[in-house]
Amino acid sequence: MVTFLLILHGLLAVVLLGGITHQAVSVAWPSRNKIGIVRSYRAVSGSLYTNANIALYLATATLGGIIYPTYRVGVRTFLEDARLNSAVGSFELKEQFIAVGLGMLPLYWMLWRRPTEAGSKPARVAVTLILCAIVWYAFLVGHVLNNIRGLFGL
Amino acid sequence: MSTEKVFPIFAAAFAVIYVLAVQYNWALFTYHPKIGEWQWLAQPAKNGPPMYWYGWLVTSLLGASAVSLISWPLTRRWSAQLWLGWMVPIVIVVIFIYLFRGFFLR
Repeated sequence: MVTFLLILHGLLAVVLLGGITHQAVSVAWPSRNKIGIVRSYRAVSGSLYTNANIALYLATATLGGIIYPTYRVGVRTFLEDARLNSAVGSFELKEQFIAVGLGMLPLYWMLWRRPTEAGSKPARVAVTLILCAIVWYAFLVGHVLNNIRGLFGL
Repeated sequence: MSTEKVFPIFAAAFAVIYVLAVQYNWALFTYHPKIGEWQWLAQPAKNGPPMYWYGWLVTSLLGASAVSLISWPLTRRWSAQLWLGWMVPIVIVVIFIYLFRGFFLR
């Protein structure tokens, strides 16, 4: 069951990664035309992604919270015994960053729901980029830890 | 009066209360994963490692909601300080990196 949830957690994270990255690129590096794949990627309507990204963030974090005890009892103990302090610390940071991101979701929703007013564009860009960075960090750390025995030959 | 104006305050308050909750262990409850037991407030280890993360999240959620509620009447007169909602979380992220530096320097 935990393996199934872990795979589902990873798959949701992949979808979220795609959605939030697409939105972040569209708001930080927008394009007016759709000539070529790069400009097409940048020219999407970022607001379309907001609700899906929030739902995916909440679902991924909830699933992470459900499988977290397995990590805490089994995996973290193994990492500590193997003296992989950086790996343990990376995960500790991941859980704190995810929590900070959770608190930003209502603001993120608000900034994307209404048309850009004077002064709100920098906040929209900043909040989206912060959430994007959190999701990328969490994804990479989770992915490396999930495969740490194979990656480091343990 | 729009509730949305408090969202930047909520984001900032959540981040600040969360880092304080982690640093001073203000967990509203503790989970003991090895025996599947929940207890109110921060409790010491009991046959296996305790988990405080869920408790910290709920502490921060309740605290940030309270701060937002208190500041709500003020937002009617003042414009929403959007920068609070992203600048404060960035500072908190940097503080977390500092607090957890020991893992990477050992």
